[in-house]
Amino acid sequence: MAKSTVKAVSGNTAAALGTALCSPDLIAAYPITPQSSVVEYLAQLVADGDISATMIQVESEHSAMSVVQGAAATGARVFTATSAQGLALMYEPYFRMSTLRFPMVMAVATREMTSPETVWSGQQDTMSVRDAGWIQVYCENNQEILDMVIQGYRLSEDKDVLLPVNVCYDGFFLSHLTERVEVPAQEDVNKFLPAYKPDHVAFDPKRPMAIDPLTPGNILIQYRAGHLAAMQRALTKLEKVDEEFASVFGRKWGGAIEEYRCEDADMVILTIGSMTGTARVAVDIAREKGLKLGLIKVRYMRPFPVEKIAKALEGKKAWAAVDRSVCFGWDTGPMYMEALAAATGNASSFSVIGGLGGADIALQDFAKVIETLVANKDKPGRHKTLWLEKPF
Amino acid sequence: MSYIDTIADNKDLVTPGMSACHGCGGELILRRLLKVAGPNTVICIPPGCMAGAGVVGWSFDNGLKVPVHITLLDNTAAFLSGVTNIYQRQGRTDVNMVAMAGDGATADCGFQSLSGAAERGEKMLYVCYDNEGYMNTGFQRSSTTNRGSRTSTTPVGSVIPGKPQHSKNLPYIMAMHNAEYVATASPAYMKDMIEKIEKGLAASKNGFAYLHIFSPCPTGWLHGPEVSIDVSRKAVQSDYFQLFEVDKGVWRQTVANKKPITLKEFVGPLKKYGHCSDADIAALQENIDARKSFLQKMIG
Repeated sequence: MAKSTVKAVSGNTAAALGTALCSPDLIAAYPITPQSSVVEYLAQLVADGDISATMIQVESEHSAMSVVQGAAATGARVFTATSAQGLALMYEPYFRMSTLRFPMVMAVATREMTSPETVWSGQQDTMSVRDAGWIQVYCENNQEILDMVIQGYRLSEDKDVLLPVNVCYDGFFLSHLTERVEVPAQEDVNKFLPAYKPDHVAFDPKRPMAIDPLTPGNILIQYRAGHLAAMQRALTKLEKVDEEFASVFGRKWGGAIEEYRCEDADMVILTIGSMTGTARVAVDIAREKGLKLGLIKVRYMRPFPVEKIAKALEGKKAWAAVDRSVCFGWDTGPMYMEALAAATGNASSFSVIGGLGGADIALQDFAKVIETLVANKDKPGRHKTLWLEKPF
Repeated sequence: MSYIDTIADNKDLVTPGMSACHGCGGELILRRLLKVAGPNTVICIPPGCMAGAGVVGWSFDNGLKVPVHITLLDNTAAFLSGVTNIYQRQGRTDVNMVAMAGDGATADCGFQSLSGAAERGEKMLYVCYDNEGYMNTGFQRSSTTNRGSRTSTTPVGSVIPGKPQHSKNLPYIMAMHNAEYVATASPAYMKDMIEKIEKGLAASKNGFAYLHIFSPCPTGWLHGPEVSIDVSRKAVQSDYFQLFEVDKGVWRQTVANKKPITLKEFVGPLKKYGHCSDADIAALQENIDARKSFLQKMIG
């Protein structure tokens, strides 16, 4: 391994540095809080000639996704970043990016969805589009953001996968937090991430084809089945990519889920994103008090690691899943709903919803979760949702 | 090469069996556009008549002999921006970057991405075939539908007689984008149209080029398919549709209207205006006069 550089950078800068190392051909960008500094940083790198990417400052996120789609159809490696309303605006080409099977990485500094009017953190934006065919990985810290951008391109461009990847990280909590980050050497990234050469699509008179003609249902269903199969292959691939990443860079993130102190635990908390750091401390404190508590960090929402979660929850007496977003219609968080569908048996479980609209999820919130877990421990089945409400 | 030789000698790159209506302006424009552009071209066509008529393919078959992508209704200029930038990076400036979209995909929901691409000076030729409504889906109103016109969403009722608003003048708006080349064209003036396609393609190597082409629609406008070219000519003769170009900011009327006719002579055969009163025609005339006077001022 060549020498990496240690820097103190924000999550947004980490995303930009990771992207720069992947040498994209084209970046399209439109500003939105809290993502803007990702593309500002990249624009500066382009302006200074530090990276050779073509930078296109578009007039909306809809066009950002459309421009990178056109470039991807032409065989380019592309990047963009967004948040919340921007993601909502780009939904139309966003869905088409995955269903055209064009690989790319898009960083999302996750943000609560309006209304009520808000610009602060939350995961409602990406959670609401988890069925748009993209791979979604959620990061705990800035190092993970940088690393997952690099892993993301590798996974996305794998010929057995060919799906776009969202690298999601909590707006403000990570996007604007400065942390120590190891920036790998370019030569190591080049070794890990080969050049991308598509063979499934071309938009070129030298290899003429119609891209996406009108498609009848009997063919369309095959496209969908193929897309879902690729998602399942990605579930295995992402573990391999993580291992290969570790062999080059010396860091391993654990694949689809990471288990923390789960081995002998009878109670488990599932977390997603930056709240995991606080949850680790909460688990350590509970352990000191003699509670057999463990933690599952859910890293990938798509593809959802059904079997891994089922196995991790097997034999546990009680579990709770903490979501920073809601699942309308279920009165739960989305990650809880999906973990519940994955879990076998009838353990005691409940959904926890907190950290909406920029609210913090602090140690005392996890204390409440643990208290409720203990109270519910011997009562199997689903329990009512715990809302981490804050005083006005 | 004379325009007649261009039409006679160049290969037709559109399938012979496309399902456009008899007398369709869009089909004629597409065939001529690709004859001029030739096989070293990629084209984006959003949903609309030209996509619906099968030229972007059905199932495993392709309706064009050049690479084609059916873009989203509202992202054609943005998608092609991504394509053209990669071609520029690769130094493959010989490949023609062409879009052909209807007025809905251009003036309505596609306008934002179009305006953005024009402002950025993206190297492409964007052609709008303007049939004054969403004809592929049954003639709903668009922002280029003219005042008084009957459409399926501006029906003629006892209270509201057709579309109450004037149309948006898109070529004027595009001319204000500092584009390399902006022009209007009509299938009744083929020499003028072919020359403008040639100029537009040449301009697209340096920046953004836009053509706005009058596209008669017998099915929606309710005139006979055999008079499509006649209707196109009368639109110009009545100043309903003026032929001009803006070449690097210099405005010029390309076809002088030597034998003007009245607006009534143009709208007469079009049943979409059949219900219009003299006052309705006068209101439309007022708008046409204002446009004419604007063009004269820009020519100076």
